[in-house]
Amino acid sequence: MLDLVELFALPFMRRAFLAGALLGVVLPYLGVFTTLRRMSFFGDGIAHASLAGVAIGIAAGLQPFGTAIVVGVLFGIGIFVLEKKTRLSSDAIIGTIFTSGLALGVVILSFERGYQPELISFLFGNILTIGSSDIAIIGALTLVILGFLIANHRAIALTVFDAETAWLSGVRTSLLEFIFYVILSLAVVLGVKLLGIILVSALLIIPPTTAKLFSRSLRAFIVTSIVLGELAIFLGLVFSFIFDLPSGAAIILTSALIFTAALLLIYLKRLFRGGVHR
Amino acid sequence: MEKNIAIEADNLSFAYNGETVINNISFQVPEGSLTTIIGPNGSGKTTLLKLLIGIIKSQTGSVRIFGKKPREVRAAIGYVPQRFQFDKTFPITVREFFRLTCNTCSADRVDEQLHNFGIQRVLNAMLGELSGGQFQRVLVARAVLHDPKILFFDEPVSGIDVEGEQNFYKLVSHLHKARKLTVVLVSHELHIVPALADQVICINRSLICSGPPAAALTPEVIKKLYGEDITAYQHSCLT
Repeated sequence: MLDLVELFALPFMRRAFLAGALLGVVLPYLGVFTTLRRMSFFGDGIAHASLAGVAIGIAAGLQPFGTAIVVGVLFGIGIFVLEKKTRLSSDAIIGTIFTSGLALGVVILSFERGYQPELISFLFGNILTIGSSDIAIIGALTLVILGFLIANHRAIALTVFDAETAWLSGVRTSLLEFIFYVILSLAVVLGVKLLGIILVSALLIIPPTTAKLFSRSLRAFIVTSIVLGELAIFLGLVFSFIFDLPSGAAIILTSALIFTAALLLIYLKRLFRGGVHR
Repeated sequence: MEKNIAIEADNLSFAYNGETVINNISFQVPEGSLTTIIGPNGSGKTTLLKLLIGIIKSQTGSVRIFGKKPREVRAAIGYVPQRFQFDKTFPITVREFFRLTCNTCSADRVDEQLHNFGIQRVLNAMLGELSGGQFQRVLVARAVLHDPKILFFDEPVSGIDVEGEQNFYKLVSHLHKARKLTVVLVSHELHIVPALADQVICINRSLICSGPPAAALTPEVIKKLYGEDITAYQHSCLT
């Protein structure tokens, strides 16, 4: 039987749990606003486009995580500018940036010889690759993001929900939207080491989607999303360790299982009460 | 005694993608008046309202509200948008909706406001579960939560049934009189104007008429506005 104390005694697992605990707050919290704004595809786009940053890092002999963060944020700013300055739809812009970044990453990596273990880790998430320096970056930046979200919660929520009233209430809506795009890009790329480029955006989407099934207030929605995100990360990492699975896939599958269980619970509740909740 | 000017629009013009939506419009709205802006669909009413509030900026001309730029007097403005579209399944209570808009408003203030509007029972209800009439009242109650001096409505009865519409206009009339608010109401419904408004502004991308309804809404003006013979009957609920 698994000994949790033994699990936490392993330095790489401690780092993974710490990174997961921080990301498990920030990504579902941001996910509440991205689902409201119907911009779930944004996270997917930024994560995939950040492959270009990983490739630049590998090719230039730099820290790929650092270059991925820089490139991811630049792509996020690019999406914001194109949304504001053109008449193109958001999904078309994100789709274009998403595939362009991915293609750029593939082209750059095609010049690299041999097997790229780091690339596979970035694509699918690998807890073994989260070093102390990564923890420092994830820790510092997630705390900055969290601080900003808490300090500006009302303004962000109002801007996302009703931008015109937010402006009338004195909120600098354009600036706030710009910062929101930047921190959303940042948070997504911070999650790629743990969850992988392919799956990171799922932590933005699945916990809030599950929480929405039960929540009847914004406060409950945010708190439940975070709790479900943390639960998925904790159980996913444990499963990842026990069954030697890629961490990202284990976490997201756990999150999907929680979602399925929630749906089942609601169905059973309706069946026994004979009524319909929503 | 001459009334103070609440809003002064001076040579306002606005074009979107090269198409002129508002063409050189000027008018004044006296303080404490109830002014309706009317015109056919696509005449630029909503654009004009957003220019007045400052949500969008005109390419030429200027707007002054109590002598200042709209952005400088945002706290004096209450606004009820035309179609408040949101995900109806999004979990947010009426109380949270109010607190987002006015975080300095106390719980007592929110309760009192909802009581005044006869919707205190929906305080903890989810916004998406309200009926059309309740939701409209919530939007109006929210717009006056911070005690604005001017209240703007953009086609407020779109999608509301006839009874809800009548109740709504009674509410607007009551707010205007009881709180001595300056009200600007955009509508494409000509029938509400004679009984409700002190002043009417008719536009079809440019200014067609302005002044007291009885004087401004001549058959010629109405024909020019709507392109056919229409009479402005008085709305029974407001008499």
